Amino acid sequence: MAEVVLRRLLATVPVLLLVTAGVFALLHLTPGDPVDAMMAESADASTKESLRRELGLDRPIAVQYAAWMGRLLRGDLGRSIRNGEPVLENVSRRIRPSLQLALLAMAIALTIAFPVAIASAVRHNTGVDRLGTTFALFGICMPNFLLALLLIFVFGVTLRWLPISGYLDPLEEGWSGLRSLILPAVTLGLALAAVITRTLRSSLLEALAEDYVRTARAKGLSEWVVIRGHVLKNALIPVVTVLGLQLGTLIGGAVITEYVFALPGVGRLVVDAVFARDYPLVQGVILLIALGFIVSNLLVDLLYGYIDPRIRLR
Amino acid sequence: MVTRRDFVKSCAVASGAAVVGLRPGAAAAADGPKKGGTLRVGFYIEAATMDPHLSGSKVDRQVYHNIYEPLVTLDTRLGIKPGLAESWSQPDPKTLVFKLRRGVKFHDGTDFNAEAAKFNFDRMKTEPKSIRKGEVANIDTVEVVDAATLKVNLKKADASLLATLTDRAGMMISPKVVQERGVELGRNARGAGTGPFEFVEWVKDDHLLIKRNESYWNKQGGPYLERVRYRPIPDDTVKLQSLQGGEIDVIDYVQPRDVAAVKTDKNVMVVDVPSLADFAYQLNHGRPPFNVKALRQAVAYAIDLEQIVKGVWLNVGYPANGPIPPTSWAYDKAIPPIKRDLAKVKARLAEGGKPGGFEFTMTTNNIPLSVQEAEVIQAQLREAGITMKIRLVDASTLISDGNAKNFEMISFQWSGRPDPDGNVYQFFKTTPGTSFNWSGISHPQLDALLDRSREVSAQAERKKIFSEVTKILQDELPMIFIVHPIEPKAFSQRVQGYEAIPDGMMRFKDVWLK
Repeated sequence: MAEVVLRRLLATVPVLLLVTAGVFALLHLTPGDPVDAMMAESADASTKESLRRELGLDRPIAVQYAAWMGRLLRGDLGRSIRNGEPVLENVSRRIRPSLQLALLAMAIALTIAFPVAIASAVRHNTGVDRLGTTFALFGICMPNFLLALLLIFVFGVTLRWLPISGYLDPLEEGWSGLRSLILPAVTLGLALAAVITRTLRSSLLEALAEDYVRTARAKGLSEWVVIRGHVLKNALIPVVTVLGLQLGTLIGGAVITEYVFALPGVGRLVVDAVFARDYPLVQGVILLIALGFIVSNLLVDLLYGYIDPRIRLR
Repeated sequence: MVTRRDFVKSCAVASGAAVVGLRPGAAAAADGPKKGGTLRVGFYIEAATMDPHLSGSKVDRQVYHNIYEPLVTLDTRLGIKPGLAESWSQPDPKTLVFKLRRGVKFHDGTDFNAEAAKFNFDRMKTEPKSIRKGEVANIDTVEVVDAATLKVNLKKADASLLATLTDRAGMMISPKVVQERGVELGRNARGAGTGPFEFVEWVKDDHLLIKRNESYWNKQGGPYLERVRYRPIPDDTVKLQSLQGGEIDVIDYVQPRDVAAVKTDKNVMVVDVPSLADFAYQLNHGRPPFNVKALRQAVAYAIDLEQIVKGVWLNVGYPANGPIPPTSWAYDKAIPPIKRDLAKVKARLAEGGKPGGFEFTMTTNNIPLSVQEAEVIQAQLREAGITMKIRLVDASTLISDGNAKNFEMISFQWSGRPDPDGNVYQFFKTTPGTSFNWSGISHPQLDALLDRSREVSAQAERKKIFSEVTKILQDELPMIFIVHPIEPKAFSQRVQGYEAIPDGMMRFKDVWLK
């Protein structure tokens, strides 16, 4: 087991190298320049030139990449061009709300998706099923920003039950921190619940048609025992796959939700950094997001083996 | 989505005509101001640095104007009034002598005096990462005459320098703080300023807090507020809802699309602040098709400004006759904006050798308002037989393309400067290399006028020069001027005593809460 994990982690090195080189090349190929972006209202060419020299932006791209790599190997992700803050400090501050939001959204999604999917599958082709699939369709079709604004309008502006925007850390502020995350987590959670519901429903239906389910029923087991003990576990693999992929996306890609609710998360950080052409910051965040994806996929693979011993990793 | 605010604000923030009827505070004057309370302010983005000399981000200035003070400052009609300097004189066109206020202390307890002022100018000129270098480039040397007298020697006469010193280039930082704190000043400005409020803390991505300066030198009026708390809220709709929902008290900008609806909300007060900005399109004189003057004119005559300001800007702005906004003393209302005239388009097309029309590409920001404007212009040109393609880019690309002259027609949104020079000189003066003269116009008569506008100091005479400049610009068309936007700000009804200064900066010295 430990060996498998180690081998998988080693295999991530070339992936990360490729990601960083790709991002570096793409960023520098994109028109635009950090100093121009920073001094958008200044036409002072000589100040810009000296600032570029100061930041090392006048050197060839390959040299800049090598310098960046060299620092990375010493554990230094560099400093943001826009405000001089160390990249690692910036990202580690931003990852907290992103992780909390992702986990809360996932919890909400699972709480909704499991009962709905099971009810849909068990009562296949009935009114219950149609209600469930309609919910899933609605959740998938509803754009994030629209749902977010609707939730804000209803629960923030009209009813005033929950804060409209902003973030407090639940680990420090407790209940008021959790309150600040509820609307964004519901926004993300509903869409995710829809995806999980659909996946789980169809894999449940598939499992329900298997011979071992008939056998179990023939043994006189109650329907609930059949579902819990035989069907559900076999239907989980696709759901775990979806969850693993979504966790990465939720952490790095919840840009719109973070933007609307003014949550200082990683997604917004990377988008702002790209628009400012803040090269070191973009590089650093993308590296960490890639790492996050790799780790969550590794966890999923390990989980497969636990759920279904037939696909133990070797 | 992110670029939208970034760019429109980075370029449009300036501005604001002072006295508009709806000034908060006018109604509740009977109660009189009272001390205390925390003002909660929502801005579209958070500050980048607390060091005015290294600041390139426009939103920084909003905070600076409450904790730092410039040597001179602006009144509500864009006039220059005393700041940290109580008076100034100009013995000759290349010398400025400032009499500094005595008894002013920085928040760290050290004295503000001529030595401190000299330290600041020297730092702006020599610090490697200084972004102020260009603004103070014309300052040759700075001399300390005595503790309260500062002599500034210029390389050449410059009528616009005083206006430049009303902002970051004139702001004074405690030399002790700079020396002791170094780069850390960027995120911790404790003790650094002289202003009515002191820096308390900045929790990145969350809030920036300032508190009342109990020993502020100016004993007239405020500061009344106990604290001011700035919060970044990037989405305009959500920022507005946060105001309407009572989570914040002030927002820096209301989108034109929201203005009408917000004005009907009884809990919110909107202040229309006409800006110093000019939003225009630069035409590239260095390549076809706009190296031909007649074709530039054909496009200008094909555009209907009234329709754009009404339909796209929903009247939250004024059609532009040139780069100088109606708020400025230099604005000449005798010069009308260019009017649409399809007969003239036809004539100019023929004159330019394209009687059947021609095709070109416009480069503009991928933000809703800019896209709508581009589409309206596209339709107007089509009616005149001119085909315009639209190329959408982000703000950074737009600036790079402009600097590299890689465009035919490109959006240019300038936030404006208090002195008309800041809206004119750098855009139209012949400049080799990189500059804001993206169009590449080089016109001897214009050059001579622009230089003269800096040499003469009498306002009436300068106004005449700027009128002549505007007429030449309408004929030569380095830019097609579209709109001078209004920059509406909104307040909760608790906020009293806010006075809009036309540079758009929100100074909270005399603001109080009901």
